[in-house]
Amino acid sequence: MPRPLIHLLAIVAGAALPFGAAAKETPAPGAAAQARTEARSDAAASPLVSTEWLEKNLDAKNLRIVEVSVEPGVFERGHIPGAQNVVWHTDLVETVSRDIAGPEKFTALARRLGVDRDTTVVLYGDNNNWFAAWGAWVLAQYGLVDNVKLLDGGRKKWEAEKRPLDTRNAEVAASTFAAPAPSTTFRARFGDVLAVAKRERDEQILDIRSPDEFSGKVIAPPGVQELAIRAGHIPGSVNVPWAKAVNADGTLKSPAELKALYAAAGIDGSKPIITSCRIGERSSHSWFVLTRVLGYPARNYDGSWTEYGNAVGVPVVNLAGTVWGGK
Amino acid sequence: MSGPIAERAAPLPRFRAPAGLAGRAPLPWALSLAVALGLAGAALWLSGQPGGSRLALALTFGALFGFVLQRARFCFYCQWRDFLVEGDPRGLLGILAALAAGLAGYAVVLGAWMPDPSGTRLPPDAHIGPVGPVLVLAGAVFGAGMAVSGSCISAHLYRLGEGSPTAPFALLGTGLGFVLGFATWNPLYLASVSEAPVVWLPRHLGYAGSLALGLALLAALAWPLLRRLRALPRAETGERRIEAGFGSVFAGRWPVWLGGLAVGAIGTLAYLRIGPLGVTAEIGGRARQAAGSFGLLPARLEGLDTFRGCATAVRDAVLTPNGLFVGGLVLASFAAALAAGQFRPARPRPGHVARGLLGGALLGWGAMTGLGCSVGTLLSGIMAGALSGWVFGIAMFAGAGATLWLGRRTGLLA
Repeated sequence: MPRPLIHLLAIVAGAALPFGAAAKETPAPGAAAQARTEARSDAAASPLVSTEWLEKNLDAKNLRIVEVSVEPGVFERGHIPGAQNVVWHTDLVETVSRDIAGPEKFTALARRLGVDRDTTVVLYGDNNNWFAAWGAWVLAQYGLVDNVKLLDGGRKKWEAEKRPLDTRNAEVAASTFAAPAPSTTFRARFGDVLAVAKRERDEQILDIRSPDEFSGKVIAPPGVQELAIRAGHIPGSVNVPWAKAVNADGTLKSPAELKALYAAAGIDGSKPIITSCRIGERSSHSWFVLTRVLGYPARNYDGSWTEYGNAVGVPVVNLAGTVWGGK
Repeated sequence: MSGPIAERAAPLPRFRAPAGLAGRAPLPWALSLAVALGLAGAALWLSGQPGGSRLALALTFGALFGFVLQRARFCFYCQWRDFLVEGDPRGLLGILAALAAGLAGYAVVLGAWMPDPSGTRLPPDAHIGPVGPVLVLAGAVFGAGMAVSGSCISAHLYRLGEGSPTAPFALLGTGLGFVLGFATWNPLYLASVSEAPVVWLPRHLGYAGSLALGLALLAALAWPLLRRLRALPRAETGERRIEAGFGSVFAGRWPVWLGGLAVGAIGTLAYLRIGPLGVTAEIGGRARQAAGSFGLLPARLEGLDTFRGCATAVRDAVLTPNGLFVGGLVLASFAAALAAGQFRPARPRPGHVARGLLGGALLGWGAMTGLGCSVGTLLSGIMAGALSGWVFGIAMFAGAGATLWLGRRTGLLA
């Protein structure tokens, strides 16, 4: 396809997405969800911003653009002008204990980024915004929820549309943000998941790993060393791989398509949902789709299979019958 | 530095471009042009693929690097041997020129990427490795491999394009050496590498301090070489006058210092856009893949993938930036050698095979254990301000010198 035509299509698609999405909307289970999806036509209230909108608003006051990419060196060799870099494996976590960044560390990070409670934060990254969504999940725990948005299509779409990149560092004024104790609204812990697995609580678990991990055929994807001792999944969970929520160009599917995708697995937002994967990072992407785009009540279980699959004495479903260490 | 020498330089190249094109040897020229156009076409095609601009750029930089290496005979071992045996310091001055240009270039890039180098973070994917006895051993073994096989890995790659009878065996040996390196990695890592400090000079000295120290060290190394250069008889330093002529670019041998400056510039630009220069990531990665499929690989390579350097992570794509870089290097060197009349394929004799395989295995083991070779660890490391680059370099030249001395004493090496 000639490049101008691709550009034209991309622009038309970008412009039409919010309106088309709102038009195709079917009645949502909750009023809040209804309000949120309708608001998608308004960049100020939508959880997603388009590449086109971002390019027009690069100099907007009170906007901070933050890249969270997996691949090192990607940010430095060219980022969206004005963007700042956040390193997922050191900035957003504690590096000794397994936890999200504590209030002190998060306060320092938010101040460095110049992020306050009323700042609009646009997150983006490589790999279809995988770690950018994880960043949004960490920010949400410190009360930065509605003003945090993902760039629809992430780096991939921005680059494909040949929009400008910059290699210089943005200089922003530090904020005075002070992180409270992290909220538990969006985070599920081992006890929560175990209660669902034992049917003591009526919630749904959405496992977004690959079908082979879910069935227990493999314990982890190839090349991954952090394993669990058991294969399979948490009883009662359903499997919808995270990337199914994404179009080929990296954008999220329309809310109607997303609803249909999760409804096919029995998830319609009528019950609280827990998202889970191997280490809780890919599942943040699905968490973002469920809570922010569809308005479903969802929490992310960051312990995920590397916690649950290593726990002693918990119920497990292992369809493939893989035995750790050999049959 | 070669100004006065160049003035009285050897005769002008006999080559005349139009005559050469039309009458002298049209076939090599046509073939050379076809390879160059093929490389350009491949880069153009790649740049149009989704996510292909990085691959296209890697191919282009590889081709430029290969062209420069071939034209300037930028070969670490040959330059060292020229100095030790013939007393000719010009090649080593070329290597120092490359390091000086790259040090300055990297400082400019790194200063923009990481305004404050004093934190705990290292610049992205710069080749800054652990410094300890294992690095010294790796450098020395790599140096021995250079002496035995006749050059380092990057030079074998460009010599492949010149039709060298040793290069194919040396590169095969390098692959085997990598497998040996994987086999010995875990004990070395647990005994020493895991404890070895990763020293990035700008963190301790700032960019200005690190650059000043680096340039001062290079100047100190260059000083005696320049004195030696002045003492050489004029005829011996008969370096051609540099002209902007067609023939001097494509047919005559470039002065090595010019090649050095070009290598420094390519190193900086490659780091800015793709990653540090290195030629062993692809060889190592493919060797790891092959060894893995034959069950010759330890189940885990402890800590290996957490280090910077020529990463040998197993490839899941057919085309990788480093693979294209190496491919571009070999093909551009082939085109350059053809055009210059320096493509001289020779039938390998048993000596070529034996020296290639043995020397290559030493090169491979050293490059795997040292997390890179004379390009990835020495050049890209020193340019980035890594202590590991200096340590590997000193050990490498010592290892090559000692092996050469021993080889000449026993009559095994020339």
